[in-house]
Amino acid sequence: MNRYFRELSVAGALALLLAMLAIVAPAFYQPQPLLSLATREAPTLVVACGMTLVIICREIDISVGSQFSVCSVGAGLLAAHGWPPALVALAALFFGAVLGAFNGFLVAVLRLPSIVVTLATMVSLRQGLNLLQQGEFVNLPDSLQWFGLPQSDGQWTLVASALVLLAVFAVALRHLAAGRFVYAVGSDTEAARLAGVSPQGVKFSVFVLMGVLTGLAATMNIIQSPQVQPLSGSGLELKVIAAVVVGGVAISGGRGSVWGMFVGLLLLACVSPALTHLHIEAYWEKAIQGTIILLAVVGDGLRGRKGGG
Amino acid sequence: MRSPAPTSTWKSVLFSHEGILLLVLVAEWVFFYHFGTSINRRGIVVGFGTVDRQFDILRHSCEIGLLALALTPIILTAGIDLSVGSLLGLCAILFGMFWHDYGMSIPLAAAGALLVGLLGGSLNAVLITRLRLPPLIVTLGTYSLFRGLAEAITHGAVTYTDFPASFLFLGQERWHGLPTQAWVFFAVAALMGLLVHRTTFGRSFRAIGFSPEGSRYAGLPVERRLAMVYVIAGLVSALAGLIYTARLGQAKADAGTGYELFAITAVVLGGTSIFGGVGSVTGTLLGVAAIAVLKNGLACLPAVMRMNGAEELSGMLTGALLLVALAGSVLPKYLSNWRASRHSARSQPQTPSAA
Repeated sequence: MNRYFRELSVAGALALLLAMLAIVAPAFYQPQPLLSLATREAPTLVVACGMTLVIICREIDISVGSQFSVCSVGAGLLAAHGWPPALVALAALFFGAVLGAFNGFLVAVLRLPSIVVTLATMVSLRQGLNLLQQGEFVNLPDSLQWFGLPQSDGQWTLVASALVLLAVFAVALRHLAAGRFVYAVGSDTEAARLAGVSPQGVKFSVFVLMGVLTGLAATMNIIQSPQVQPLSGSGLELKVIAAVVVGGVAISGGRGSVWGMFVGLLLLACVSPALTHLHIEAYWEKAIQGTIILLAVVGDGLRGRKGGG
Repeated sequence: MRSPAPTSTWKSVLFSHEGILLLVLVAEWVFFYHFGTSINRRGIVVGFGTVDRQFDILRHSCEIGLLALALTPIILTAGIDLSVGSLLGLCAILFGMFWHDYGMSIPLAAAGALLVGLLGGSLNAVLITRLRLPPLIVTLGTYSLFRGLAEAITHGAVTYTDFPASFLFLGQERWHGLPTQAWVFFAVAALMGLLVHRTTFGRSFRAIGFSPEGSRYAGLPVERRLAMVYVIAGLVSALAGLIYTARLGQAKADAGTGYELFAITAVVLGGTSIFGGVGSVTGTLLGVAAIAVLKNGLACLPAVMRMNGAEELSGMLTGALLLVALAGSVLPKYLSNWRASRHSARSQPQTPSAA
């Protein structure tokens, strides 16, 4: 069977959804709302790039939503104290790196299961943030908005930079030695170790990278609005993991691509506006997302049984 | 291949995990008794140190306790179920809907909710055992699906209330001295204890947790046993949903949000290895108690000590507690591995990896 069957089948589902929308709700295809949608999803794409790496090396990080909130609020508070935008962005990346390194230490050095570690950090970070911030919004200075660009320029820049990042990850994962290490560790840790790759080092780096990307996404999020909501990242982990899994990245590690994730993300991102245009209540969104995740893994399970891989 | 280092036995002989946990629990209780109890103007003792408060703690720990009991056999088999909290919410909502919208009697509606729990657990079981999908991602999907269904059914707004007093008795009154739901909790705990520790089923859960392949070669029906633990978990989650509804007197779509974390924490804190194969129901009960005392105790502390947010602080500390328990469970192994590698490096000076 074709190597890209999995990616292509998701792309087929996406094409079907888009075609259906074109017939039933042509209003979906207006440039301005589509640009807004793309801008909203750009930070998600950045986080999903990191999550793809994490899942390829057979780990998971469900604390990204909380990390995202902590980075957003932390960077927002610095901006409110008058830090220049560039430093605010760097600080967000730094916060992300620290949080990622903490997860990475527990997972790679102490060898704790990432699902439980990040479950714990997810709740601790979220509740810690609630405790300190008490649900208050952070007001941002005007200079931070779109980094001073006009809105539509800012939106285009944001979307373009997310896409460039995606392309960089796609190339790096495929052609750089470091990218191949991630696959090697995910498909067989012991073999990777014998081949001279340090699995713990790779895992640690991947978690740090995940944190940095979350910080970057947080920056891309806070420049979009005049306020930071402390709850802005809740549920992000589920959305991102769903995109990665739907895009055909195997949760058992070692298989999948950033492009697959991208198609999966597009599919999931179109669900919510599609619901609006098809006049279905938005309350169904979570149930539909859950169903899409289950369908994707069921498909993988059936194919895995047949193909033995 | 690195051979497993010999475990240092003196620790395990001196302290069992449950023993340490019991000490922690007592210390915690004494701390909150000291700082959380006060005497009000009329000379009446209020706060943590009252008997009523102890019953309250018991009452509040039943739902998470039930979920933790449901998760114990699952984690023993090296599995995980993230969907228990969402299933609790879905069953609570459906119970309210069966009773309120469809005019079913309370017992019938309760039976319906339990059936839904059974079906939800079966969905997990079928996906995990028939299609051999990883429990983590399956239950992540059903976590979203069950909660999403609860939200879709209620449009995120409907709350079912006005349940009859006979039903609220389950959650708000006492029966033979104890909160009514505590009897249910103890009964489930006893049954689970029997299942895990006194039957061959329990033995097979451990065996599967140690080595699924080995269990298969030993002739155990691995798929059927795995299916069993997930179905039981669904049923117990539904029961927890009923008790939740009875305690609060209302069923909302967000019922039990985040409970899975507390339940998993209780299980891991109780000494059940997240890698499967090791653990006990007694440990889980102690873990549940430790979390419940923490949560309720913080609410009794003076505002300065709990930084105006008992709920948030207890969530944060529970997460931290989970990390400490996990790190504590691997640290001896880690240290002995490290010592062993240093030792082997010393005895073979020609190997270059003596960093």
